[in-house]
Amino acid sequence: MSLFELLRLAFSRLATSRLRSALTMLGVIIGVASVVALVGIGQGTTSNITARLNGLGTNLLTVTPGATQSGNTRGAQGSATTLTLADAAQVRTLADVAAVAPELSGQALVRVGAINTTTTILGTTADYPAVRAYNVAAGSFLSDLDVERQLRVAVLGATTASDLGLTSGSIGSVIQIAGLPFEVKGIFAAKGTGTFQNQDDEVVIPVSVVQKYFVGTKNVRTIGVSVASQDSMDVATAEITALLRQRHGLATSATNDFSIANQAQLLETASSISATLTLLLGGIASISLIVGGIGIMNIMLVSVRERTREIGIRKAIGAKRRDILAQFLVEALTLSLLGGCVGVVVGLATSAALSRLGGLAIVLNPLTLGVAVGFSALIGVVFGVWPARQAAVLDPIAALRYE
Amino acid sequence: MTTPTLTTPARSTPIVSLRGVTRTYRTRDVEVPALVDVDLEVAPGEFVALVGPSGSGKTTLMNVVGCLDRPTSGTCAIHGTDVAGLDDDGLARLRSRTIGFVFQSFNLLPRTSALENVATPLLYQGLGRRERNARARVVLDRLGMSDRLDHEPSQLSGGQQQRVAIARALVTEPALILADEPTGNLDSKTGADMLALLRELNRDGRTILMITHDVTVAASASRQVHIADGRLVA
Repeated sequence: MSLFELLRLAFSRLATSRLRSALTMLGVIIGVASVVALVGIGQGTTSNITARLNGLGTNLLTVTPGATQSGNTRGAQGSATTLTLADAAQVRTLADVAAVAPELSGQALVRVGAINTTTTILGTTADYPAVRAYNVAAGSFLSDLDVERQLRVAVLGATTASDLGLTSGSIGSVIQIAGLPFEVKGIFAAKGTGTFQNQDDEVVIPVSVVQKYFVGTKNVRTIGVSVASQDSMDVATAEITALLRQRHGLATSATNDFSIANQAQLLETASSISATLTLLLGGIASISLIVGGIGIMNIMLVSVRERTREIGIRKAIGAKRRDILAQFLVEALTLSLLGGCVGVVVGLATSAALSRLGGLAIVLNPLTLGVAVGFSALIGVVFGVWPARQAAVLDPIAALRYE
Repeated sequence: MTTPTLTTPARSTPIVSLRGVTRTYRTRDVEVPALVDVDLEVAPGEFVALVGPSGSGKTTLMNVVGCLDRPTSGTCAIHGTDVAGLDDDGLARLRSRTIGFVFQSFNLLPRTSALENVATPLLYQGLGRRERNARARVVLDRLGMSDRLDHEPSQLSGGQQQRVAIARALVTEPALILADEPTGNLDSKTGADMLALLRELNRDGRTILMITHDVTVAASASRQVHIADGRLVA
């Protein structure tokens, strides 16, 4: 018998008991829909993290000072004031380092005419855009000369600029930062993806100016280092460690008075955790799919019993074992595949609703959908084959006599 | 008691040829013989009635002749093919090609139109839908059922259902029509019509083996074979 004939038989059979078919499919529908929606949420989260990863800056290492130590009391990490601009300059000379941006920041009131806002004032050097992956949308970024001469120039984050009503036409105008006049030199393009805070809400000025007017110290809070290539992250970490230990005059037995964080690594860990979560969610959803499959098996077994006489008749008029086997198997497969397809639609609708109402990032790739439908078909075969076999091996004489 | 051998002179290959057929059923440790040393031949064109009371073994004999069952011993050849050595699918193929069943309880497929019921044996012969339906329509037309093609069994009277069942048995052009109590579930008038139809089919050259417990029904056949306690009797 051709597949077409079998499908025709299956559909006309399922159409005679619509409610039962629909309820049986419901199990598979719920299973597939939850696989699609949950895996979508999981993958959405993963890709969200990946996007943040790229927004951080490429091959980024962050050097922070260590803790202050007085007697046996350790201060918080980063509380020491051991990193200097000179450290940053020396790190820049290392072979595996592409760009270095020391950072020193504080909060200050920024005012343009009558509009004012409190935001982060970040002091850094000319490498900052390269290290932190910023693009300048209008004007230009700080130059080495600006830093060297402690010029009061500022580059504004996209959010800050729009908060203050500044546009690309405002390059060259003057703004007040903590009461001091600064010339607007440039405006960043929006980064959009915030890591832990809005990266577009800041005003960047020369680090030397921050040191001179705002904090009055010679140290910096962090040194951002962009490593030349992904492969040399570990080598660069070792080189920076050795260099800074030497510069800070640490004895071999002394612990580091700074630490080097690979934030990308942290986020990669987060990303892999989220991928594991995706698998877990998908796995839980698959269980409901298997339960749906058992529902199909259950109803097929009932069906074989109910239709024992029909099977006997079919055998008497010439059906071979494999004809009966195929008929029942295709029926189970039709139930599960149809359920799978409806489930995908329900899953897509659920995802759309979740991302609209819950603000969840959801990524749906065709592979997930294909696997979900394929898996439901597999369920149909696995759970359909036993009832179908039961039907196929029925003794026609006993089957014909069955009431 | 000796078992008489009832044969007709062979004009050509007999449709049914049983030699020393015995069929025993095993219930727990007791062997129950249902058929004992049965010899039976049905020649092409015959209309044979197999008559016996219930429990005489006639249903077992029908199952053996209908290739639904195999003898415990003895040989059974249907249309020249020995059933010994055929597996279940081999038997199914032999049934499909050579035997048309008519059952006492009609045994039509429920919730399935008359046309599709009649066409189904051809489905298992691997024919396409168009040819199946065309052939089923011809046979149903011949039995006067052409205005009931789309009716399901539950919408048909007993006589109409039996006509559909006969159409289904005829549609494959089988060598043998095997009718098991074909009038058993019909009133006497409809039953008489059915017997007339079987006689007519026989006049057209169909070989028919009819099983019945009713001697008046058996009188319609051209030859009667009686069975009692699993043995053929004169």
